[in-house]
Amino acid sequence: MDDSKRKTLKSLSAAAVLPTLAAMPTFAQVDTEWQKVVDAARKEGRVTFYTSGVGSRFHREVGASFEKAYGIRFETLEARASELRERIRAEQTAGRFTGDVHHNGGTTAYLMMKDGNFQAHGGMPNLKNLVPPFEADQFRVPSNVQSYGILVNRNLVKPGEEPKSWKDLLDPKWKGKILSDDMRALGGGSVFFFVMHDAFGRGFHDKLAEQNLVFSRNLRDDERRVARGEYPLYIPQLLPYFTEMKGLPVNFVIPEEGRPFVRFDLSVLKNAPHPNAARLFINHFLDVQSQLIYANAGFSPTAKGVIELTGDDVKALLRTKVLGTTVPERQDEMLALAKSIYK
Amino acid sequence: MVRRFLLVAGLIVLLAFLSLYPLAMLLYGSLHSTPPGVPGKFNLDGYRALFTSAYAVILRDSFVISLIKTVLSIGLATLLAWIVARTDTPARRTLEVLITLPFFIPPILTATAWGMLGNPQSGTINLIWKAISGAETPLVNVYSYGGVIWHMMQYSTTFLFLFIVEAFRTMDPALEESSRMSGASNARTFWRITLVLMLPVMTSAFILSFIRGVEAFESPIFFGTPAGIEMLTTQIYNLLNHQAQPQYQIATALGFVAMLLMAVLIVVQWRLLRGRSFATVSGKGFSPRVIKLGALRWVTFGICILFFAITVALPVGQLLLSSFFRFFGFYTAEMFTLDNYRNVWANRDFWQALRNTMWLGVTGATATMILGSIVAYITVRTRWRIRKPIELMAWLPWMMPGIVLGIGFLWAFSLLPAGVPIYGTLWALFLAYMALATPVAVRVMSGAYSQLSYDLEECSRVHGATWWQTFWRILLALAWPSFAVGWVLTFFGILRELSASILLYAVDTQVLSVLMLKMWSGGKPEEVSVIALFMLALVLVFRWVQLNLINKRISRI
Repeated sequence: MDDSKRKTLKSLSAAAVLPTLAAMPTFAQVDTEWQKVVDAARKEGRVTFYTSGVGSRFHREVGASFEKAYGIRFETLEARASELRERIRAEQTAGRFTGDVHHNGGTTAYLMMKDGNFQAHGGMPNLKNLVPPFEADQFRVPSNVQSYGILVNRNLVKPGEEPKSWKDLLDPKWKGKILSDDMRALGGGSVFFFVMHDAFGRGFHDKLAEQNLVFSRNLRDDERRVARGEYPLYIPQLLPYFTEMKGLPVNFVIPEEGRPFVRFDLSVLKNAPHPNAARLFINHFLDVQSQLIYANAGFSPTAKGVIELTGDDVKALLRTKVLGTTVPERQDEMLALAKSIYK
Repeated sequence: MVRRFLLVAGLIVLLAFLSLYPLAMLLYGSLHSTPPGVPGKFNLDGYRALFTSAYAVILRDSFVISLIKTVLSIGLATLLAWIVARTDTPARRTLEVLITLPFFIPPILTATAWGMLGNPQSGTINLIWKAISGAETPLVNVYSYGGVIWHMMQYSTTFLFLFIVEAFRTMDPALEESSRMSGASNARTFWRITLVLMLPVMTSAFILSFIRGVEAFESPIFFGTPAGIEMLTTQIYNLLNHQAQPQYQIATALGFVAMLLMAVLIVVQWRLLRGRSFATVSGKGFSPRVIKLGALRWVTFGICILFFAITVALPVGQLLLSSFFRFFGFYTAEMFTLDNYRNVWANRDFWQALRNTMWLGVTGATATMILGSIVAYITVRTRWRIRKPIELMAWLPWMMPGIVLGIGFLWAFSLLPAGVPIYGTLWALFLAYMALATPVAVRVMSGAYSQLSYDLEECSRVHGATWWQTFWRILLALAWPSFAVGWVLTFFGILRELSASILLYAVDTQVLSVLMLKMWSGGKPEEVSVIALFMLALVLVFRWVQLNLINKRISRI
């Protein structure tokens, strides 16, 4: 990530971070203050987790370890990002406050924060474990990071012929042979469009459009189509999904410039019925063992001291450099640009 | 008189709550710059945004694709229904059950199977074709207009078949025999008598299927999007789920424009059927004439088997295979596993979802069919002035794409006063399912009632039977086969419904369709296959019970 992007990220969160830090108790107070939160959470007895991670087993594993550690019941409600957002908005408008913790991608979390769907989490001990450039603000706590690369069919692409740079996708030999998540729709495709645009300029996309990409919106089917040999390449492939494809004839390539990524955030929902349990769960999510569940599945952890503990197969991938991410305020502009280039 | 007034008033209140209330919320959404509960202003921006050539193309493609698939499907369904109900084709009772199976397979699974069979690069059909013919160009490409239509046809053909086969079976052959005795040929009798008598059922089924085609989602998202084909539902899905800010105003406006266009069809059907009688079931006993085909019966048998092989054996074979392997399409010894079955068996969510779905399916289908029977009775068998508004209210939810209507239910139920315990409970799903399925129930029962002669009812009343006794012992008993078909359609419609379910389910009210979405999104299509096979087994049991037990017993009433 270059300096300008790092500055953008920092400036986005700085205003919110400062009041949070000011409100944080001193170290001497932490144990007793936090113990009160833990006790109150146990009395609440339940935490309801709203997540856009539909079908993901990882938050369930974290939830199970939370139940085991604290004896607090963990419940989940999963829906796709926009559906989850609208459910929460409708519930809160009607005065129905049923969810405690919200888990969603950075863009949706940012928009929901602006809409007032969250309440300040009030700080927690594990925030000190966050690894730069990830920082919490008073509403959002970075939980995990999704990274993207290129999925390559091993039977169709010889080892030396795999793309080494993102710009290699412009090679005429790939014309008509790249299956892609739709860049004109919010999701992995639009993340790829955004990051490539910022890294290489519009010209990259003008040339990529001439490669006659085949767009689709079925992530889980598309990766299988590449594995079965319908296409040699798929962009952008989610690293966590790749880790579930062990045994299939595919490789995951992270080009030399680095990998696009998207941050996921945790927040306490406004008027959460179990606010202490919500705080405790978010804190638990940042524990090394919880983060390790995600990291071993290919999600970059947001807490320090985790990558070192991951399995060898994902460690090398998680240690590659990052190329960039999206900025919520520019998302509409980028979607419109993608529609004008990829017709 | 008072009782009738109370019945009609109660019915209107119920239908208004099920259809007008969520639609009113959507209308508000289409006319307001923000969703309900968020400050904004009333304007027509949502509708103005639709006045572009791109939306015109989307609407044109949606209607043309649906029209083509419905015409082809109704032709095929009529042929199959005629073979099963009116000919001496061997094993036709078994064929009837087998032919209907595609309707009950989750579309995402058949789409995956057809993607593997018919993709131009490595599809099995094309590989075989190239090996045999030496050609370099593929024979078929499912990622095309044809692919979208083909995939939709597998569902609409069986859907239409279920409607039409009962109508064929309950038709008194006297009119056909009169035609033949007057010198008409078999073909002329079929076109001028049989098909005309089937007009209420065929037009109802055609419209239901056509509208469902316009609102289809899985086929266009799988096979249309990669080919650059946008349809109404993929565009709405894009507006709701793939924008930084979901475009509720445009999406709901698009839903209403489509609804208006589809309403024209309903009016055409009303005008087509107005003032004509289609009664073929009278007080006189009859049994449908079975045509002896001679050697040709093996040809008709072959047609049914071919349909079964292509639309059932191929995709179900894929499901069955994939359920025993780690990855769909990778059938090697080292990939063999029973884990998919173990995982589903050990999945706590599966059992909870199954329990909820069965409760909702059984009670929802029963309640919907009762409601549909009453609505159909009023609209077909009475001359009450209120009958048209009642029919319209029952129809409305079918004309709004489910993906939009789901939002309407979310807004409607979540914004009810806190003292009304619907949102977040199974009742929210129950009511949404009733609203979504009532149009089918009404159409099925309307078609059946249209074939019943009025003299049966009058005879019963003359002999002292109450209205309820007449309704139960005469009308419903004679229309029972249709009621049973409607129940099965409704039951499995509930099992598959996702658009409203994903927005209305709560932590402990998960249903199978939501669980299957989670498994699919979680990269477990093989476990989805296991559940789909379980559902297919359930279909076979239900159909067997329906065809062999219930129909026989009820016919004795």
